[in-house]
Parts: sequence; structure tokens; C-alpha cells
Amino acid sequence: MEASHSADEFIPAALAAFGVKADEIELAVMGAAHELLWPPILELLGFDAGGVVSEPAPDLSQAPPRR
Amino acid sequence: MSEPLDLPLRDQAAAIAAGEVDAAELLEATLARIEARNPAINAVVATFPESSREMLAAAPVGPLHGVPVVIKDEWPLPWRAQRFGAAEMLAETAPGESGPYRALRDAGAVVVGVGNMHELGAGSTGNVSVYGPARNPWNLERCPGGSSSGPAAAVAGRLVAGAVGADGVGSIRYPATYCGLTGLKPTFGRAAMEGHHMAGISTTIVSGPLCADAGDCRLLGSALCGEELRAGNANGLRIGVVANEVSEDVAPAVREACEAAIEELRQATGGETREVELPELAAATLATVLIANSESLGNVTPERLNNLDPELSPLGRGLLKYRLMLPAAAIAKAHQLRAMARQRLAEVFEQVDVIAWPTVPAVAPPLAAPLVELPSGTLTADAANVRSGALANLTGIPAISIPVGSSEGLPIGLQLQAAWGRDELLLDAAEALEQANGRRWVEAAPPLTPAEQAGA
Repeated sequence: MEASHSADEFIPAALAAFGVKADEIELAVMGAAHELLWPPILELLGFDAGGVVSEPAPDLSQAPPRR
Repeated sequence: MSEPLDLPLRDQAAAIAAGEVDAAELLEATLARIEARNPAINAVVATFPESSREMLAAAPVGPLHGVPVVIKDEWPLPWRAQRFGAAEMLAETAPGESGPYRALRDAGAVVVGVGNMHELGAGSTGNVSVYGPARNPWNLERCPGGSSSGPAAAVAGRLVAGAVGADGVGSIRYPATYCGLTGLKPTFGRAAMEGHHMAGISTTIVSGPLCADAGDCRLLGSALCGEELRAGNANGLRIGVVANEVSEDVAPAVREACEAAIEELRQATGGETREVELPELAAATLATVLIANSESLGNVTPERLNNLDPELSPLGRGLLKYRLMLPAAAIAKAHQLRAMARQRLAEVFEQVDVIAWPTVPAVAPPLAAPLVELPSGTLTADAANVRSGALANLTGIPAISIPVGSSEGLPIGLQLQAAWGRDELLLDAAEALEQANGRRWVEAAPPLTPAEQAGA
């Protein structure tokens, strides 16, 4: 399903699940954000991280430990 | 001597130290200039002359003794809570001594005003703010960049010679570019952050300086980092370039100016350019957005979202609510991407000293419609800019934006990124480039007076 189409169902359903209200303008903003972000999010979910695991509490002030 | 107000930050400090400029007179002149020039650019959203005078009276003899600076609306001051450019910021705030405030105070600087910013720090353009947008001094109808819009416009408009910004996803570098300044995003954790409402939570935000040139960024950045960012040299600089959208899906004038600047830098340092590969860059950009947005969710509840201040922009309200829907699995993947990107960069920085690409792919867009035209088509400026700025925030590395050209009368910036802790090298490289181009771009000034603006 295209993201622009899925937004019509996904966003109202998600808002209802969280118990969050939104007006028409907010829904339009969310729809635009969804259209922009959702396709790459789906791509990211399918991204092969090649066995790399997240750094636990990474020290971002320094290079990562050598693998 | 030039008007003291128009001197670079370091020359103001030197002139005060030498007794050639009276700091109290400089403060009053700065306040008067803010009153005169600020209405056109809306860079400074609060002044507090008595607090500034008290700060000066108590100022120690430090490297910035008596020098007026502006600080972004992102940190509390002892006499004012931050508002984060918003009617509501979903975090508790109160007046207090933030880290950047203490750093400035201990260096002898005088906080003379609070800089405007993009609402909630959530934009690269600066066109949305509870105070109304700041305007770009180079063209009042164009975006100043965000989220540190006010600090950048204040320095470009010569209200002050230096300002403190914050960079969570490019938020120092974007406005530095749009306003023709030099802006340093220090290595994560290196610059003062205490008192920020996201300190200890955010893994992307740092404080940093926005100034006309690298020498002033070195001085102000040293104060923020609590240690001298020592001058060295960039001799034999190995410059990494990438052949992907951050270098290629770029407005032709920006691409031309940045490629010319890279070549100038190579020649000036007797260095070399090498192509490097960053295959995860696009995914890393999304990872940065997911991490930065999810880190701010701690204070969010459905009840708060249902009772947002009506003065918050519709854009801000919609985006706050959309953050709830970011899938946890994608955020977990984003952290894997962060680990991958950091490993990749560690390997790349064994081959090169810096990575260079345009700070943003197009010059400042109109405030009324912040869209940019790129070879791939029309994009929102936010969607285009994040591709260039996010990597440094995701991985923690330092980055700098340097003015290197102009198109349509608007500045163009080149970004250099270096390995963790090599902030000084970025300043050295920026200074080498300034010398190579005769300081043409760091000394370029926008139309500053109403008469100049009318003729622009």
C-alpha cells in the first residue's frame, strides 16, 4: 500500500489507540510527515545490518572500540 | 580603528584587554544597535540591560572579558527560562545557570540578548517561531536557517560578533551557511550543555559557536569547551569526498563553489583529495531523525498532547503527535545504523583527515515557502538539508560550516567533518581556506543599514 494512502487509515487508527485528538490541520501535517518518513522507515526495517549490534551506551565523544 | 562593534570577537576582546575600548561603552553601543537593527531581522527576542550591566560589573578578566554575545533561546539564564522558540516545550523550565551561561560568565563575556530559534528546534529554516521568524540579513525575505536562526542572524547583522547556538541535527551549521558565517558543531560531549532541558537525554545535541570566521569560533568555542582549542596547521590535509547525493544532488552554483573551495583547500594545505565511500549515509540520516525525535518523547503523554498550547504552531502540534507513531523496531534499527556508521567513519578517518561536502544543497529559500530546487526535483529545505547535516550528530564527530561563495546574493557554505576530538583541525582547515581565498567570504557583509537594505 502506498504511504500516502496508508496515512488515511494508519494515522487516525494510531491516534485513536493512543487516545490523542487531532484537528484537520494537524492531520494534514501528520499525513505529510508520514508520506515523507514512512517509505524510508519501511526500508530501514528491511536493512541488513550485517550482524552489527548496537553499541551499549556508546561514548559518542570518541571513536567506537575496534571490532 | 573600525567601529568597535564591527570588530571581530577576538579583536573586541583584545581591544578591551588593551584598554583601547571601554567594555561598558561597548555594551551600551551593542544594546543601541540591537534596538536600531533588530526590528528588521528579529534575531534577538529578549534583552535585559540591567542583568547585562551586572554581568559586566562582575566579569572576571578572562579571554572574553567585556565582550557582548547572544545566546540561543535553548538554555536558561539566571534571570530567564528558555522557551525553545515555542509557546510550549513539553519540559519543565526555570531560570538558572546553564553550562553555556557559566562558560561565558567565567570567560568574562556579557550575555546581551537571547537569540530567536525555530520552534522546538524542529526545523532547518527558522521560519517558524513563537516570536515570529528571524530574517536573513542577506535578504529579509529569505530563511536565516535553523534551528539557531537568531544567533546566526544576530552575528550576520553585526548586532554582536559571536553567538552561542545548539546543534542537534545540523542546527548550527545550517544557519551558519544561510547567513554566511562560520559555525562549529563540536565533538559530542565536548562543549557545555548543563541546564539544557535535554542534557543527559539527548545523544545528538551540542552547544557551539557561530561567528564570522574560524578565529572567532576558536575563541568562543574554547570558552564553551572549557579548554583552549589550540591553533595548529592543516598541512598535508587529506580531504575525503563522496560521490553521492550530498555532493551531487546539489544546486549547480553550490556544487561549483564547494568543489572550487575543496580544490583551494587542497592546494593551500599541500594536501590531497580522495574519494571515500559511505554507503549507509541515507539510512544513517533517517536513523538520526528517529533517534533525535524519540529521545524527546519522555515527557509526552496523550493528555499533554490533547492539551497543547494553542499558540504552538499547527506544524509543531502535528509533528509532536506524529512522533508517537514512530515504530520501536525502526528506532532499534536506527541504533544499529549508528553503530555501523561510527565503525565506517572510524575506518574512513584512517584514510582521510576530513570529509568535505556542501553544508546544505541550496542557498536560503524564501521564508514564505522554504522549498529548494535540486537536480532531483523540488524538496522541502528540511528534507534536503538533513541529508548533509545528520551524520555528525548521529556519530558524535565534529563538523564545521565555512562560507565559500555566493549565489543570488546569498551565501554558500562548505562543511568539513573530522574524527572525534579533532575540532581543532577543522578550525585550522577553515583558517587555511580563509587565507587561500583572501578572506573574501568571511569578510563579506550583508546590507546592514535600512538604507543599504532598501538598495539591496
